[in-house]
Order: sequence, then structure tokens, then C-alpha cells
Amino acid sequence: MRYACLLLRSLALDVFTRACAPDDARPFVVSSGGHYPRVVAANGVARVAGIRRGQLISAALALAPHVTLRDRDLGAEEAALGDVAARLLAFTPNASLVPPDAVVAEVARSARLFGGVPKLAEQLGAQARSLGYDVVTAVAPTPTAALLLARAGREGCFVDADTLASALAPLPLASLDLDADAIATLAAAGVATLGEAARLPRAGLARRFGAHVVDTLDRALGRIADPRVPYRPPPRFERKLALPAPVESVDALRFAVRRVVDDLASWLLARGLGVLRVTLSLVHERYLRERGVAPTVASFALAAPAREAAHLDTVLRERLARIVLPAPVESIVLASDDTTPLASRNLGLLPGDDAASATVPLVERLRSRLGDEAVITLGTHDEHRPELAGIEIAPRPGMQAAACDASGMRPPRPLWLLDEPRALGDAFAAKPWVLRDGPERIESGWWDGRDCRRDYFVAESAHGKIVWIYRDHRYGTDDGEWFMHGLFA
Amino acid sequence: MLFVAHTSAAIGICALPFVNPALAQLLSHPAIWRGNDCAPEPSSIATGFAELDRALPGGGWPRGALTEVALEREGIGELRLTLPALARLQAEGRSVVFVSPPYRPYAPALAAAGLDLSRLVVVRSVTGSDALWAYEQALRAPECGAAFAWTATHDERVLRRLQVAARDGRTWAVLWRRPEQRAGAQAAPLRLALAPSAGRLAVRVVKRRGVELARPIVLDLAHAPGAPLYPLPEGRLTMKRTSPAMPTSRRGLAHRKAS
Repeated sequence: MRYACLLLRSLALDVFTRACAPDDARPFVVSSGGHYPRVVAANGVARVAGIRRGQLISAALALAPHVTLRDRDLGAEEAALGDVAARLLAFTPNASLVPPDAVVAEVARSARLFGGVPKLAEQLGAQARSLGYDVVTAVAPTPTAALLLARAGREGCFVDADTLASALAPLPLASLDLDADAIATLAAAGVATLGEAARLPRAGLARRFGAHVVDTLDRALGRIADPRVPYRPPPRFERKLALPAPVESVDALRFAVRRVVDDLASWLLARGLGVLRVTLSLVHERYLRERGVAPTVASFALAAPAREAAHLDTVLRERLARIVLPAPVESIVLASDDTTPLASRNLGLLPGDDAASATVPLVERLRSRLGDEAVITLGTHDEHRPELAGIEIAPRPGMQAAACDASGMRPPRPLWLLDEPRALGDAFAAKPWVLRDGPERIESGWWDGRDCRRDYFVAESAHGKIVWIYRDHRYGTDDGEWFMHGLFA
Repeated sequence: MLFVAHTSAAIGICALPFVNPALAQLLSHPAIWRGNDCAPEPSSIATGFAELDRALPGGGWPRGALTEVALEREGIGELRLTLPALARLQAEGRSVVFVSPPYRPYAPALAAAGLDLSRLVVVRSVTGSDALWAYEQALRAPECGAAFAWTATHDERVLRRLQVAARDGRTWAVLWRRPEQRAGAQAAPLRLALAPSAGRLAVRVVKRRGVELARPIVLDLAHAPGAPLYPLPEGRLTMKRTSPAMPTSRRGLAHRKAS
């Protein structure tokens, strides 16, 4: 067995800064909140200004007055771990969360598909970095050992069963979750590393510092079982991404939207789903929220279940471009409203094989810009009244047109139908019309208030137009009004 | 090689006076165009009307080119003219897009005429730049085989753009317009004008990649799919009823109410 541990070492900071483009050079500090807020994490620009972890926020503000401050968001950090694990599930059969800041993935079983364990571990790290997280990756035969190595900052460290004990030996005791007193006591006794601790009598170590110290050492060295709860992505996706600074233009949101779309794509892949409807809410600043400014919501239905991040991003970008922001946006929330199981797609054998399926379907591009109502397909409905026999339906994948009766004995129906029958008035009497076919009596609908009693004719106008006209007998008379209802185009 | 075979077949149709195969092969080069026949069309779709096929370069509607059709008024059989080709394109698995049609495309009639409704996309209630954008997207989409637009754009640059989009997407693009909108040089390589002619449809080829046609082609669309199929030009009109009769009890009620 091989386990790769991905330690998200600046998670508290990354959950905020991943929403802005990498070239954004603003000092950014995450504070612990509370009465005496302290610096939990600071980005590179802030560190250059002299801000350090553990400083009081007031001190940090004195060093860099324009620093952007955010309270630590533990919920977002937990969700971020889930997102990383969901992304890793595309590469490994099993990933589990190690709160507060690490993910452990089992890599031996799928290593062959990705060119060996080291290459796979490298790829896992690259995936987490592509999501915007700074990670340390370490591989070891046990999850605990991998975690300890990652905590010690051994980036790219690859340990197998033979070298495990010697690799763990130099690690400082601080990487075990011991309280400060225990570490101080052990240090006074001359025990500073895991190797030294492992050499101590086990019974005494357990009695003085608790059984968990011995257990952790045993788990790391593979002496006792180290079971992990496999991560299962939640049944519904809803992800909030707080922006580092309020955004006033839609253009500036694109990068953040791409981030949440990436998260959505990895969630969909991990659950084997395709999304049919997504909702993107743009949450405005708090003072506006309190004044009742509702979030700007862009809801979007896809014609076919989709999973590709690039596809979803294209569609949402088109929709975003049409939005006018009423107020600055503080955070964005992407939620999956409607999903359906979607089988995996085989990749093309030759380059270019899967080019066609990678593009966004036309119907979706049209609907994303013009709105769902503007793009329709047609359907038929079993109904005598002509205006109700043709219906408009939203395009759906794999839609089958209703089988049509192909026998020749069908009354004539026009290719163009007028939305509202147009009264012919005197035009009918004034011009020479030739009645070519009819009358066809259509009498129906007395039960729903849209009563119709009409005699339809196919008529040819003096201009050579062939139209579908009727005489309205709704009121029981024999000399009703003439209407035009369609054109035999 | 396939291409050469195709064009020499086209020359065979044109009935050249000589049959020297070497010369025929040389003349079939796409860069050579002779004044008395039509330029080879790389790909076309048969219209379903033999007379019209003979008049169009490549023997059918051009795929990957803009076709402008001018018509005085709707309802003279203009859609019936295109239906066989649309059905053929749909049978190939490609879809048909209507952008801002002037009326509601009536599903029962279209289905009866052989169109696959699930492969027909209608974009409506859009105007101006949105309609043109939608049209261009449709032209460029690989899944779209034919795109019809009813817009009144005169802008030469827009038309060139659409022509390029149609060429790139290999889409049969039809732009429907009024006759007075035709003016000056136009990007569309094929332009037709439709007019009714004694119960039939006269198709005048205004512009094609070939020698000018003096006379319009008159097509009988009475038996084309989508036609009303009226059987009795002189006979007496007899009442037909396609809906069920109203219940007699209600009739009685209505009379009582009226009286």
C-alpha cells in the first residue's frame, strides 16, 4: 500500500486568495477574529511588509495600513478539503480527509495508470495547485507516516517500507499532536525526534504521555492498522467563494467563477453525475444585504448533462456577460440544482477524436445568451384546435419527436401559423380569393372556455399566396367573420 | 481523387461537346472556371427538384455558403422549396435552425412534411445584433446543417462575416429578405428571387457562380411535402369534419339560452 498525503499548508489563506488572479499583489491577512484578533496567515506581500503569524492585527495594520483583512473561515476550509479530495478521486479509488488541513489518498492501486507512484503523487499535487491551494506532497506506506512527513515539510518525499523507520526517525516530536508540556518534558529528557521516542520503553511512554503517543508511532510505522474513513462527496453541491475584495465589474468575477466551476466539475466527476441546472448567486456586500438588496442570481439550464469545467465555464461566462451588477459583489455561490447520472466518456484513441464532443452544444450557447425562452424546439399535441396542436418545448438531449401518422388522408395544415388569427374584414370581399379546399369544420374546446367552431378553407389570394382561412361560427350564426390563421409557405 | 471524380461528373451533366478524358480532368481543376458552365461547388445538397438542381452550381443548395432568397410575401411556397433538402440534412444527423422566423413554425405541418422536430431549433423574439449573433453561432456550429434567418440587415460587413461563418461551419445558410433589400454587390454567392406564377413557384436565379440564367425556373410545388394537397380545383366543396361533434344536449341548452 502507498498513501500520498497532500498537506494544504496555507489553507486559511488560500480559501480567500484562490478567488483572485495570481498576479494580484495586495497584502492580505487572515485574522483569528475575537476580541484580540491575531494574524493566522499572511500572503507574500504582507510578509514582505513584516507581518508575521501570531501578531496582533493592530500591529499588522500599523505595518501595512492598506492590508486586506478577513476573518478566518473554518467552514470554507472544511469545504476546501472536500473539494481537493473530490478532485483526487479522479486519480485514486480512495481519498480521506485529515482535518484540519490535509487529505490522504491511496495511490498504489491506480499507480500503473499514471506511470508509477512518484508520477501519480506529482500529478495529485499539481491538481491541488490547479485548484489554487499550496500543497506539500509526501508518499509513505502508511497514512500517518505520509502525514508526518508532509507536516515536516518533506515535499516530494517518497518512502517505501524499508526506509520508513529511518525516514521518520529524524522528524521532530512536534509533528506528533502532543501538548507543549509533553514536548518540553521529553526535550528535557533529551528526546527531540520520533526516532528517539520510538526507542523509549513503550509502557512508560504510554503511562506518562498517554496511549495515543504510542499508538501514533505504531500507526506511522505500520505496526497497527491505520483505518481511514473514505471521503464521499455530498449529495448536493453548493460552494461559496468569498472574494478577497468587493468586485464591481463582471469581468473581475471570471477568475473566481472559474474556480468554483472547477470545484463543481470535480464534485460531478467524483459522484459520476452530469449537471442539468446550475445557479450562480452573486452576493452583495453586507451593508447592502442588510438593506434588503437580494443577491443577483443567474440560473442556467443545460440542454445535455455536462461535467466538463471548460464547458460549464463557457456557458456561465456568456451568462455573466449579460448581467449588470447593481452593487459590488462580496462572494459568489455556485449550486447544482439538478443533476443526473452521466456515464464516463471514452477519450479518443487518436488526437482530435473527441474534438466534437468537447465543444459546447449550439443550443446551450444560444440559451446562455438569449435566455431559455428564446430558444425552443417544437412538438405536437393531440388536439383539434390548431393553435393548441403545435407546442413549444425546451430542447432536451435525446429527445424523440412523436411518431407522425404518415398516411396521406390528412387535412391540410399550414407551415406558418399566425400567433393570433388576423381578421380579414372587408379584404376578403374586396379581392378575388379562390377557395381551394374546404370547408373543414373544427369544433372543440367548449369545456375550457376557449370554445372554437370554425370552418377552415385553403384559399389562394390574388397575389398567389396560399393561406388558411376560417369563418368563425362561435356565436352560432352562419355569416361569421373571416380570419386568416396560417400560410402554406 | 474523390473531388476530381465529382467535378468530371458535373461536366458530364453539362454535356460538353468533347470527351477527351485528359482535357476533362485538366478542366476539372477547381481553379479553372469556364464561362459557359457553373463553377464547381465543393459540396451541395440536392434540392429535391430536378430542374432547380440543374440550375444550381454543384447540383443543389450550396453547403458552406450564404444563399439569399428574396420574396415579395410569405406564403407562396418558399418553405416547401427548402423542405426536401432540410429533411435530407436532418437524416444526416444535422439539425436545422430558424432564427427569428416571421410566423410560428407550425409543428404538425412540419412533422407531416417529414421534418424531425427534435432536430429543429427555433430562435425567436430576438432582434438586431442578438439575432445576427445567434445566426452566426448556428452557422459555425458543427451540428447545424442548415440555418435560416429572417433579418433585414444591409450591412456588407455583416453579410461577409456570415458568409465566412457558413463556409467555416459548412452550413447551408439561407437569408430571407424582401426584394427591395437587394442592392449593390452582395457577399452571397447564390441569390434567388421567388414569385408566384399561376399556382406554381417561379424561381429566378439572380446570381450564381456561373453564367446568368435568362428565364426563371417554374416549379410545381402542389405535390411537394407541406403542400395543402387540394384535390378538387373545380369540384363542389363538401363539408368535412375533423373534430368530434358537439354533444347534442349542450346544443339544446345553447338554444334554450338564446331564446
